[in-house]
Amino acid sequence: MKKESGNRFIFPALLILFLVTVYPVFYVFYLSFHRRLLIFDISKFVGLDNYLFLLRDDRFWNALKNTVYFTSVSVSLELAIGLSIAVLLNRSFRFRGVTRAVVLIPWAVPTVVSARMWEWIYNTDFGILNYTLGAKINWLGSPFWAIHAAILMDVWKTTPFVAILLIAGLQVIPKELYMAAKVDGAGNWAIFRRITLPLLKPIILVVLLFRTLDAFRVFDAVYVLTGGGPANTTETLSIYAYKVLFQTLQFGYGSTLSVVVFLCIGSISVFYIKLLSKGIK
Amino acid sequence: MIKKTGFYLLVMLVLLYCSGPLLWQIATSLKPDYELTVIPPVITENPTTVHYISVFKERPFLRIILNSAVVASCTTVLSLIIGSLSAFALAKMRIRYKVFILGFVLSVSMFPPIATVSPLYIIIRELGLRDTWLALIITYTTFSLPLSIWILTNFFKEIPDEIYYAARIDGCSPFQIFYKIMLPLSIPGIFTTAILVFIFSWNEFLFALTFTSTTSSRTIPVAIALFPGVHEVPWGEIAAASVVVTIPLIVLVFAFQKRIVEGLTSGAVKG
Amino acid sequence: MKSVLLLLCVFIVCCLPADKKDKFTVVVFKHGKIAGDPEPFRKLLKKFEDENPGIVIRDEMLPASTDEQHQFYVINLEGKSSDFDVLSMDVIWVHEFARAGWLRDLTHMLSGEDRNDFFPGPMQAVTYNNRVYAIPWYIDAGLLYYRKDLLEKYGFSPPVTWEELIRIAQYIISREPGLYGFIWQGKQYEGLVCNVLEYLWGNGGDILRDGKVVIYSDENIHALRFIRDLIIKYKVTPPLVTTAIEESTRHIFGNGRALFMRNWPYAWNIFEKEGSPVKGMVGVTLLPSFSKGPSASTLGGWQLGVNKYSKHPEEAEKLVEFFALPESQKILAITLGYKPARRSLYSDKELIKEQPFIAGLYDVFMNARPRPLTPYYMMITQVTQPEFSAALSGIKTPEESLKAAQRQIDYILAAER
Repeated sequence: MKKESGNRFIFPALLILFLVTVYPVFYVFYLSFHRRLLIFDISKFVGLDNYLFLLRDDRFWNALKNTVYFTSVSVSLELAIGLSIAVLLNRSFRFRGVTRAVVLIPWAVPTVVSARMWEWIYNTDFGILNYTLGAKINWLGSPFWAIHAAILMDVWKTTPFVAILLIAGLQVIPKELYMAAKVDGAGNWAIFRRITLPLLKPIILVVLLFRTLDAFRVFDAVYVLTGGGPANTTETLSIYAYKVLFQTLQFGYGSTLSVVVFLCIGSISVFYIKLLSKGIK
Repeated sequence: MIKKTGFYLLVMLVLLYCSGPLLWQIATSLKPDYELTVIPPVITENPTTVHYISVFKERPFLRIILNSAVVASCTTVLSLIIGSLSAFALAKMRIRYKVFILGFVLSVSMFPPIATVSPLYIIIRELGLRDTWLALIITYTTFSLPLSIWILTNFFKEIPDEIYYAARIDGCSPFQIFYKIMLPLSIPGIFTTAILVFIFSWNEFLFALTFTSTTSSRTIPVAIALFPGVHEVPWGEIAAASVVVTIPLIVLVFAFQKRIVEGLTSGAVKG
Repeated sequence: MKSVLLLLCVFIVCCLPADKKDKFTVVVFKHGKIAGDPEPFRKLLKKFEDENPGIVIRDEMLPASTDEQHQFYVINLEGKSSDFDVLSMDVIWVHEFARAGWLRDLTHMLSGEDRNDFFPGPMQAVTYNNRVYAIPWYIDAGLLYYRKDLLEKYGFSPPVTWEELIRIAQYIISREPGLYGFIWQGKQYEGLVCNVLEYLWGNGGDILRDGKVVIYSDENIHALRFIRDLIIKYKVTPPLVTTAIEESTRHIFGNGRALFMRNWPYAWNIFEKEGSPVKGMVGVTLLPSFSKGPSASTLGGWQLGVNKYSKHPEEAEKLVEFFALPESQKILAITLGYKPARRSLYSDKELIKEQPFIAGLYDVFMNARPRPLTPYYMMITQVTQPEFSAALSGIKTPEESLKAAQRQIDYILAAER
């Protein structure tokens, strides 16, 4: 029996996706070739001017550097900690359900709330972190610490997601493989390296894809925690673009920055998806 | 025995790591103002509810919670309706360029919001939707659609094709099959999707910050980020507000832990 | 499902404000959080309502930081919002809002006499293309606070030049363990620009001159390097200032942990309150100058304007007029410490009796300089804030940061060409 065409079922979804995501993307490209000051009603076509300025714009390069640093450090830490938690919790024990629910807490806490929470924890004078360490570190104020404070918060917030996905990945690995390896006398570490890691590779790649994309476009966490300061050492590409767009409504150059974020995200996805399809073959 | 103790110690460590910051925020919210700036920052012996009272009394906080609740619920319903229709078509019907469409849906989920926020702002302003619930509902529905479609497609695929054919032979139209047979069979999947979409809409910040400007549509994350104060940050009240808006999510997590995990992983593991 | 919807509807209806005020005109007044006890302010609004039957004022609070307040106004006014009628504005916004066409022309509200009575700085800030778009509400300017008792103890008089300030601070902090020398506001925000401009101006520099960008100049490089040297070379300023805002420095100074502080006048009343650890020990003077230049102080303060899209412009104007009256400004000065924008009040006997400190501020306010008067100021400050911050924390040299600022500001102003 032949199936019916499902076009009319899928039409609403495609329409709204097109109107609210695809069309704006074309629009943002269009804006990026303009000098558009919304508040003063200035709108001029300037060709590649915005892009040429971007190439010489220190603040853009600084934001790109911050974004890449933030992404690479936080994603690697999340993977390491997430993997440890996954291996730890991937067995049956009492209170396992409750434990998993607790592990999900950071994931569920709204990002803005978690930024506010950590802002208080990081407080130089009255924060519990400095008190515990017996230190007087100016976490959010010193150019060196601020970006790391932001990374630490992001790691806390997103490790659960990583751990949950990896646990799911671990559960698909057949128990017999472990048994067989134990019979052959392999140690725990060898089992982990020879069996667990290779079999977990596809899911690790998926996790990396999700997390890299999320970290690269990070906005709310850092925007609320530091606002991009001190001295723009925590200003990511999204924050820079947002400030240009909405603090002063410079829609031309702001859109140019958005386009760059879009292109970066696109390249990262293509890279990972190539890697993934290779792995599957 | 030692091994077991060690294991439980490690688990305790993980639990502390995950819940510590939130517990600390709860402790902060109960402290009277003068204890906030006292070292050592211990748990207070005189818990107080002044911060909670002042959050609700001095600010239009109820209205803001209402905004968030309405926006998140409407988004969830809309996203489920549109998403389940397409998921049904993708899983059970004939669609040309199916792979292409799935790829498109997936790639939309990767779009950085910052790349669409400026044109969307202009469009919403032109339509006169600025500072309304509708502006957020439309945007959130769109950005949650890929997730809904993805999870629900996976659920529908698990329902055997034979049921579909049998119903066809009995004279059901595809739409009847959809809501009389498929939907009831995939309640768990719909539920999972609903929770995830709801949490996403409840927590979203970038679009809410941009499209709303007064209490008539401002949502919780924006209100918490822009807490008013002169020169000084009202830590106690921020903590209280944070706790109030996080509690519903924590309840969701504890009640539906299994569903959430299922939802989060269904996209990743099977895909 | 239906019952849920019904419940929801009931909930919504209950939450909507009941509209009992049909017969009244509601004027919405947007302002920042009132410093201190809001009661006197409410009383003043009540007084206005009593004098103007038929008008009801609803005052609504803006977000905490001025950047967020600015964004609130820009987004709403750009969307032609009529949700608020009277808006309080920082001095640096009026030209921008006027250029954008969001403010009602209030030129007719000020007689020549009134114009003379307001300080010249705020008058410049509210006048755009020879029209007046807002009325000065209260005024602010940078001041130097010092510890009278400590200077006396070591036999110094208050410093007049920066060199003296450094010398005194170095001398005293080496003998008073735990005491900071000189603190100011160095976090990346508008307050930093206010601080830095005082040095740039004092050294003969500026950001704009006759519409040209002149930020990359030897005078500015020298001045910016001097500020950085306060921290790393002279060591009179602790590195923590690079994250400090008004209140953080006020707390430190107020707990007796600093010798000198740059801040706005509001801090004085707090220091002189009962129970303050530094009560009676604080002196205030003009900011120091470089050896040859003048002392320069940045103008701050708030102005009241009327939303062009307001549906009740006449009523809104009445409220602005009310707050511009000498009596109203006097009440706010006595109760909240808001410094009047009218010069005549500085010789008002009753006010001086209540707030003796105020009389001495007259010269400071007369000389206070507005930040660059251009509709593009907010875009410019988005550039200068991070660049100044980078120079102060040593991430860039003063030269690099000013050069980068010059290039970015040039690009912003190219919109006019």
